[in-house]
Amino acid sequence: PVEGSGDANCVDEILKEMTQSWPPPLTAIHTPCKTEPSKFPFPTKVKRGSSSKS
Amino acid sequence: QATEFSSKIEMPDYVAKYTALVSTDQRQSYKDDFNAEYDEYRLLHARVENITRRFTQLDTQCRKLVPGTKEYQKVQEEVLKEYKKVKQHSPNYHEEKLRCEYLHNKLAHIKRLIADFDQRRAQAWC
Repeated sequence: PVEGSGDANCVDEILKEMTQSWPPPLTAIHTPCKTEPSKFPFPTKVKRGSSSKS
Repeated sequence: QATEFSSKIEMPDYVAKYTALVSTDQRQSYKDDFNAEYDEYRLLHARVENITRRFTQLDTQCRKLVPGTKEYQKVQEEVLKEYKKVKQHSPNYHEEKLRCEYLHNKLAHIKRLIADFDQRRAQAWC
């Protein structure tokens, strides 16, 4: 915190204090977690020809 | 309040409270906790971000100008004016910033645990 009146020193202090780098905000947590694995966005391997035979 | 502070630096309270996830129920409860504080965090974050951006602009302007000139003086006065404005509108700016930093670290911690859990679970299903 900077106190006092407007000399150059004071402005420098203010700028130093008020321009400290600030990280971008965290994003929210997405993926509303349901328990079924099938909801996952990447395709799972299709087993060749085991289920389509009749 | 003052007694809390020193221990917070050593080890934040959330590190002990939020440990590695073991169940989806736990995931939900971590996520609920995250969401419960996320709005406050975003609000504080946006406020600090705006103020920081404003002062960074002024700082950049200052650096381009020659000390002693009228333009330089004008920007310096602008800095003081803006600073007074901050003090007036948010007298607790410093505390708000600290609070936001704390929330940032805490929420990042929770988020990381959830991401770790999701990754482990995804691998288990492959």
